[in-house]
Amino acid sequence: MSRHWVLGEFASSDALVAALKALRERGFEQLDAHTPFPVEETFEALGLKRSRLPLLALGAGLGGAVFAYVTQWFTNAVDYPLDVGGRPLHSVPTNLPITFELAVLSAALMVFGALMVLFGFPHVTHPVFDVESFRSASVDGFWASVAVDGDDAPRVEAALRELGARQVSVVAEGAR
Amino acid sequence: MSTADPQVPAPGDPLAEHPILEGRHSDRAYSESLLAFVHRPAGRTWWVMLGFGLAGTALLTVAICVTLFVGVGTWGNNIPVAWAFGITNFVWWIGIGHAGTLISAILLLFQEKWRGSINRFAEAMTLFAVTCAGLFPLLHLGRPWKFYWLVPYPSSLRAWPQFRSPLTWDIAAVGTYLTVSLLFWFVGLIPDLATARDTAKTPRARFWYGVASLGWRGSARHWRQWRTGYLLLAGLATPLVVSVHTIVSFDFAVAQLPGWHTTIFPPYFVAGAVFSGFALVLTLLIPARKALGIEHVVTPLHLDNMAKVLLATGWMVTYGYVQEHFFAWFSANPFEMHATQAEFFGPYAPLFWMQIFCNVGVPQLFWFSRLRTNVAVLWVAALLINVGMWTERFLIVVASLSMDFLPSSWAAYRPTWVDWSLLGGTVAFFGTAFLLFLKYVPAVSVSEMKELQREVDASLQFRREQGTRPGGAP
Repeated sequence: MSRHWVLGEFASSDALVAALKALRERGFEQLDAHTPFPVEETFEALGLKRSRLPLLALGAGLGGAVFAYVTQWFTNAVDYPLDVGGRPLHSVPTNLPITFELAVLSAALMVFGALMVLFGFPHVTHPVFDVESFRSASVDGFWASVAVDGDDAPRVEAALRELGARQVSVVAEGAR
Repeated sequence: MSTADPQVPAPGDPLAEHPILEGRHSDRAYSESLLAFVHRPAGRTWWVMLGFGLAGTALLTVAICVTLFVGVGTWGNNIPVAWAFGITNFVWWIGIGHAGTLISAILLLFQEKWRGSINRFAEAMTLFAVTCAGLFPLLHLGRPWKFYWLVPYPSSLRAWPQFRSPLTWDIAAVGTYLTVSLLFWFVGLIPDLATARDTAKTPRARFWYGVASLGWRGSARHWRQWRTGYLLLAGLATPLVVSVHTIVSFDFAVAQLPGWHTTIFPPYFVAGAVFSGFALVLTLLIPARKALGIEHVVTPLHLDNMAKVLLATGWMVTYGYVQEHFFAWFSANPFEMHATQAEFFGPYAPLFWMQIFCNVGVPQLFWFSRLRTNVAVLWVAALLINVGMWTERFLIVVASLSMDFLPSSWAAYRPTWVDWSLLGGTVAFFGTAFLLFLKYVPAVSVSEMKELQREVDASLQFRREQGTRPGGAP
C-alpha cells in the first residue's frame, strides 16, 4: 500500500480556505495547501502551530555571544596576555563589537539551517511535481493536497470535486 | 464620492497620493511581467553593457595582480598618508550596501508596503557592494594571503589576534554582514526561484531554477516557517546596519588623529551610509525599471519616498558636518582647529566645497514634490550625491592624515593608476554583477507583489464598503 497525494486546484485563496475547512470537518488528516504567496487564513484552516524558530535563534545568538566573549577574554587576557601601552588585559568595551557580531551571525546561520531542516531542503524532487498542472502552484493556482494511503484516494478525489476544485490529480510515491 | 477610482490620482494635484501599484493585475500577469526579462533572451544593450563591465573587471584583475606581485608600493600611499584610496573605497562601498539592508529589513519591520517593489534590487546591491568593499582592506593588508591571522585559530605561532584593534572588529563585522545579507537575500528569493522554474520556457532553465529553488512547492507549512524565518533574518540584519558602519567608523574614531577622533562619527557614518546607499539605489533603479518594464510596480510613489529619505538623511549628514567642525572649534584644541581650517581653506578645499554642494545643497531640491518624481532630476541628483559621499570619505581619510601634528611630517597624496583602476574596476565589477542579477534573478519579489495586490484589493473593497475617500475623510 503506497502513499498517495490527492491534489485539487482552486480558483482563489478564499475557495481554498473554505475547502480546507470542509475537508478537516469531514475528518481528513494530513492536509496541506500550496499557494503562490503566503495566505494567513490557510495557516489557521490547517491548524498550524506557531513556529519555534525564534527560540532556536535566541539560543544560537546567546551561544555565539558567549563563545565570542570567552574567546577574546581567554586569548588576550589569559593564554597570551597582550600588554598594549599598559591598558587593562581584559576590557569589556573593546570586546563588545565582536561579541555582538558573532551573536547575530550565529542566530542567522541557525535560522537558515533550521529552515532547511524543517523544509527537508535541498530536495528538488517530490511526487507532486509529476503533475504538470501543479506548476501553477507558484503562479496563480491555489492547491489543496491530502496525503492518503492507497485505497482512500477515490474518496478524497470525490470530496475535492464536490468542494469545487477546478481539477483533481492523484500522484503516488515512487510512481516513476 | 465613491465613484472615482481611489487608485488613480487627480492630475496635477500635489496632495494626491501616488498608487503603490499602477493598475490591477492578476497573479499570472505579475508572474509574467516580472519574470519577462529573465525568460527573454538578452538584448543587444545588455550584451554591450556586459562587455564594458567585463572589460572593467579585467582592469580590476590587472590592478589586483600588480598589487599582489609588486606590492602596495604601487599605490599612491605614503607616510603619513598610510591609508588612502583603499580605505576610502572600503567605507564608500560598504555604506552603499547599507541601503539594501535598510530597505529590506527595517522597512519590513515597520511594515512599509512600498519596500516590496525595490527590496530585491537593493539587497542584490548590498551583496555586490559588500563584496567590493571587502576587497579593499584585504588588499590593503599588503600580504592578503595571511588574512586568516586576524581570526583566532590555534596556530603554530602560538599567538592570538589583538582584539583591541579595530582591524579584527572589521573582519567580524564585514564577514557577518556579507553572510547575513546573503542568507536574507536567498531565503527571500526561494519562492520566486520556484516561480521562475514553473514558468521557464526551456528545459535547461527549468532544471537550473529547479536546483536553485531547492524543491520549493509553496506548502502552507513551509510558508509559515518561511515567514517567521524571513522576519527573524530581517530583525537580525537591522542592528547590523547600525553596528557595521559604527565599527567602520571606530577604525577612525578610536585613533587620536585630529579630524578622526570624534564621537559624532558612528551616527554620522551610519546616516551617510544610508544617504549614499539610497542614492545608488535610485541611480540603478531609474534606468532598470524602464529596461525591465516594471513601471507598474516601481511607481512614482517609490521614487518620491526615496527622494524623501535622501532629503532626511541629507540633513542628518549636514548635522554631522556641523557637529564635527563645531567640536573642533569648541575643543579649543589647536590641532583639531587646524584640521578644520585646512579643510575649509587648505589644499583640499575645492573637494570640501564640492562635498558640501553635493551632500548639503543637492538634496534640498527634494523639498519640491515635482522634482521628487522627475526622473531626470532625481537621477542626476543621486549621481551627484554618490560623488559627494565618496569625496567625504576621501577627505576624512586623506586630508586628516596628510596634515597631522607635526608640520615636518606633512605630505601630499597623489593616487596612482593602480588606485584609479581599483576604484573604477570595482565599479565595473559591481555593474557586471548587477547586470547578471537582472538577467538571471527575478528583480522584484513576485510573491510579495501578489500578496500586496491582495492587500490593496482588500483595502479598496473596505473603503468602497465604508464609502470613504482615499484621504480618510468621509
